[in-house]
Amino acid sequence: MDKLREKVRNLLKENKVAGYLGYIEGEGGHPLPHFFTKERLEEVERAIVPPDNARYPLDKILESLAAAYPDETFAIQVRGCDERGLNELYKWGQLDPDKVVLVGVACTQAQADYCECPAPWPSVIDYGEKCEPVLQSRRVSRIEALTQEEAFQEWLGHFERCIKCYGCRDVCPMCFCKECSLEHPELLSTGKVPPDVIFQLVRAIHMAGRCIDCGLCEEACPAHIPLRVLYKKANLLVKDLFAYETGSPVTGPSPWKSLGEEVTLEPKPM
Amino acid sequence: MAEKEFEPKIIGFFCNWCTYASADLAGISRLQYPPNIRVIRVMCSGSISPHHVLRAFQKGADGVLIGGCHIGDCHYLRGNYMTIKRVRFLQDLLKFTGFEPERLHLEWISAAEAPKFAEVVRKFTEKIRKMGPSRLKQAA
Repeated sequence: MDKLREKVRNLLKENKVAGYLGYIEGEGGHPLPHFFTKERLEEVERAIVPPDNARYPLDKILESLAAAYPDETFAIQVRGCDERGLNELYKWGQLDPDKVVLVGVACTQAQADYCECPAPWPSVIDYGEKCEPVLQSRRVSRIEALTQEEAFQEWLGHFERCIKCYGCRDVCPMCFCKECSLEHPELLSTGKVPPDVIFQLVRAIHMAGRCIDCGLCEEACPAHIPLRVLYKKANLLVKDLFAYETGSPVTGPSPWKSLGEEVTLEPKPM
Repeated sequence: MAEKEFEPKIIGFFCNWCTYASADLAGISRLQYPPNIRVIRVMCSGSISPHHVLRAFQKGADGVLIGGCHIGDCHYLRGNYMTIKRVRFLQDLLKFTGFEPERLHLEWISAAEAPKFAEVVRKFTEKIRKMGPSRLKQAA
């Protein structure tokens, strides 16, 4: 932790950043997202890396900060998923990579196993150590092994619990659109709970090649819909079909952003 | 009361320049094909969003047939590059969730291919008829 605090302190002192978006230990030891500034440098003493399961969409907070102060540079605490999110936001023109400084945190093995995360550390590590990545999602493989009928019944059971709170979208760091298809009356029925069965699929389509698998949607969902499994699969499809690695700083732009220069796929036979 | 035979409802999204023109030609040539298809003309198959397909299924379509120009023949040069990406992705996503991906079909049909158009509509209608009503309809 000392190394991380030292780095943050120096960044602030040397005016390299306008502020650091991280976590602070609140009253009763509760970790809270916090914006550290040079004016209140003593707060850096209380800067922490929150425990595994205490996570907030810092990327999303940074988006609004950057929108309000487009000329300023900010430092932000990132895990592997947060950095993937930033990479994706750079590609979608939502953030400027020159105006973001990373303070990296490697996840613990327990967290990586829980997330089934293929890359549980960022490119810069200021706290923690690299652990074993989880290269294949067991949750996805289980659904893939089901018959069509079984899969349908399982997903239908999940989708019918949806209370249409939009929690998944509101917490999502990648949901930056000003207008949302999920609220479009021509695309989805309004005033109906549970919503149309296709509701989750509409969101899954938007998450393909965009979801950075932070899992906040699933944790926010009061109906415990396994959203993560759906989006993990959507991303796997994008990888298989278009060789696009979501969140990678190297591949891009997203296959949905341009028509492409060549066609590699063919229509499936009837 | 005798049970009525299942008549599938099929939505066809056809591009203005190729498949819609082939439907026109099929009509002029008096080629027979089943009346189960409801055609929606779009300017390019690349303008069909996955939302429209899902919306059709949600509203009770038993099948969705998308028709576009052959690759290289697109009136907008590369519009159908996006069509194939979207359709292949959506089919695989539907498969993962058990939403019967076979009910969504994409076919490239040029303005001159009226016999192919009639054949595709006939085959697709028969396939959907055999599959029975959409699961999504039962769920909704």
